[in-house]
Amino acid sequence: MFKRIGSKFKSLYKDIKKHPKAFRIALRSFFVMGWGQFKNKQKYKALPLLILFFVIIIVEIGTSTYWFAPGELFGEYPVQAGEKLYFFRDYGGFFTAGIWGMFTLGRLILGDTYRGESIKIFDKVITWKSADNSIVLLGEGVLALLLFTVIVVIWILQIRDAYKEAKKIEETGIVETWDQFKKRIFDEFFAYIIVIPAAIVILFLTLVPFLYSFLIAFTNYTSKISIGGELIKWVGFKNFGTYLFRGEWLEFFGRVVGWTVIYALMASITVYFVGFFQAMVVESKYIKHKKVWRVLMILPWAIPALISLMVFRNVFSENGGLANELLINLNILEQAKSFLAAIGLMGQTHDGVILWYSDPLNGPLAKAIIILVNLWLGSPYFMLLIVGILGTIPASLYEAADIDGASSLQKFRFITFPWVVRATIPVIITTFTFNFNNFGAIYFLTAGGPGYPIDKVPETMRITGSTPGQSDILISWIYKIAFANDPERYNLASVYSIIIFVFIGLFTIYNLSRVRSFWED
Amino acid sequence: MKYNYKDIIMWIITHLILLINITIVFIPILWMVSASFTPGDTLTGVPLFPNPRLWSLENYKYLFEYKGTTDQIVSDYVQVFGNTLYIAILNTILVVVLSSLVGFAFSRYKFRGRKGILLTLMGLQMFPTFMAMIALFMMFRQLGLINNSTALTFVYVAGAIPYNTFIVRGFMRNIPKSLDEAAAIDGASNLQIMTKIIIPLAVPIMGFIAVNAFMAPWMDYILPSVIMPQNPTLAVWLFRFMNPTASTYKPLKFMAGAIVIAVPIMIVQMYMQKYVVYGLTAGADKG
Repeated sequence: MFKRIGSKFKSLYKDIKKHPKAFRIALRSFFVMGWGQFKNKQKYKALPLLILFFVIIIVEIGTSTYWFAPGELFGEYPVQAGEKLYFFRDYGGFFTAGIWGMFTLGRLILGDTYRGESIKIFDKVITWKSADNSIVLLGEGVLALLLFTVIVVIWILQIRDAYKEAKKIEETGIVETWDQFKKRIFDEFFAYIIVIPAAIVILFLTLVPFLYSFLIAFTNYTSKISIGGELIKWVGFKNFGTYLFRGEWLEFFGRVVGWTVIYALMASITVYFVGFFQAMVVESKYIKHKKVWRVLMILPWAIPALISLMVFRNVFSENGGLANELLINLNILEQAKSFLAAIGLMGQTHDGVILWYSDPLNGPLAKAIIILVNLWLGSPYFMLLIVGILGTIPASLYEAADIDGASSLQKFRFITFPWVVRATIPVIITTFTFNFNNFGAIYFLTAGGPGYPIDKVPETMRITGSTPGQSDILISWIYKIAFANDPERYNLASVYSIIIFVFIGLFTIYNLSRVRSFWED
Repeated sequence: MKYNYKDIIMWIITHLILLINITIVFIPILWMVSASFTPGDTLTGVPLFPNPRLWSLENYKYLFEYKGTTDQIVSDYVQVFGNTLYIAILNTILVVVLSSLVGFAFSRYKFRGRKGILLTLMGLQMFPTFMAMIALFMMFRQLGLINNSTALTFVYVAGAIPYNTFIVRGFMRNIPKSLDEAAAIDGASNLQIMTKIIIPLAVPIMGFIAVNAFMAPWMDYILPSVIMPQNPTLAVWLFRFMNPTASTYKPLKFMAGAIVIAVPIMIVQMYMQKYVVYGLTAGADKG
């Protein structure tokens, strides 16, 4: 690795020795973006680069207060003895102050004395007298760092361009004209050009928030921190140590992960096989008017899942929900209760209606409901998909099987089943990963309920109010940690998000690595 | 045609299965419809078996008549509906254009950083979206974009591009390269190849992503609930009726509102169902 970089530098050095003039031109671009291009007589390149260069400088200067620095530092507000000066905090512009903020997360809070003044929450005139807001600093820092990276990349590319073009002009004496350049760019870099709009949107609305949230995992940020009065600090991997790997938290984490995996597996497998079964039945030769039947069966797929889930929440409501009302009207409530208790789903000792998702003893029942409702919602989609795939199986396969005298069971076993499974493997995998993060299926149906019996919850978790419910999967627990409970532990939520990210990421990469065609054009 | 004993049994069994299936499908739907026509505010009044003679339009009237403030021209529901419609339309346009461009680039060109970008796109999808919400909330507050529908739409667009890129790329890969080559020989530019040859052939898959993009904002809850508190989208607005701890708990109004929005969505979905299989098989690789 180092050897390779070393030899690259060596050959570059040799090349520079051979072309000192090109090196001088590249050096110009090193200091002023576009200057080298200007020397190369490529004004069409030089102009936009120069404009960009000045825009960057104007943004940095314009958002700064550098011009106050000399007067204040040596006059009105000198640095006191033994005090450290935060120059970029006080006077820096977008880039410098941003990067300062990101590394320090702020230094001064309400009531601190700094340069002979006391820090206020906000000072409109002399901005450095305002208290630091760590969370804003982090955001601005991420943004500044990202834009700075983009600028550095452009800067390197234009130095390289100046050098290469100068070399080419030196050797051939031909300067590429605007028309030639335009044509070449459109031919060679067309892919980049059409990707740029999407890249910008993703950069700002996906990548920036992602980096921000990712970094929060390494801070002590919770809603308990009062902005301006306290600073958020970088704590390194401490959150991972305190929460993730501490006994009682780890135990609950294990439970939630266990249920998440079981849920994702069960939800994917049940919808797949029931959908398969439905497809086989509706496509069998005994059914006339297949289209009509199909339309009736795929209704649950056509209804927005959010609405179905909320309707089912009402169906299993204890205040007049359909499920209990049906059981009461059919006079089988008690039988249903003893049946559910016998198969181990229900432990409710309470008289009256069944508390489908609110009695701590009914945890398994809530989980069963989640999987059944998911089946109601999801199987039509697979039916639709598999009906489509059944149509792609060549009839000749079945004809050949008929000639060989195969039974219908054998035809299913050796032709239909393997064909459908092979065609749907990628969909099964996506369904699994989707269900792993299927927030809605839990949140809108049971909202994670029922809770754990209070004596089973570790003390630390009760205090922080971050207890998962029995039917919470990882993602809905994270939501509770971050938004639904007090104090909102953004850092902890972020730690768990990183875990999901790593887990699902590895799973997907492993699966993709086996799909060779993904990497081929 | 002669029916034998086995065929008759199978005929009965298959029809029985379908009937049971359809009963299970329809019970909650009928109950929902019945609840939406039941006057009052509690679920306890909903009859078990729908009885059209007792039905009232009270809940539906509420949707189209109730105004939160007096200076509104239209009811809250219509206003929220219009807002969501705006988001949905803008989202559809942007998603279709941007993901077709990216999908085209990835299916047709070999360029540096291609694998890296593909992996990044995959990776970004793995991170729980609502974690990004803390950051988005902070950013939007700084920029004064809280409650701004257009800003929300761009968040949706950014979120939709990765998945749709894979779908479009998968589809366009199956369009033979010989078409491009033939056009290039005839002097077509990259732009012409894209707009005149590949995009027209990719219309079905673009239809698929257009429908998905149009549908998504109607039923997204978490993101608008955080960054659009004063300017709710439909799902957020409806959910207020569903929260048993809030004073706005009105499950029957929810049912009516849900039906009004679910019916058009259902019709579109039914109409678009052929694209679903299409989209899935195009995105999934035979590998």
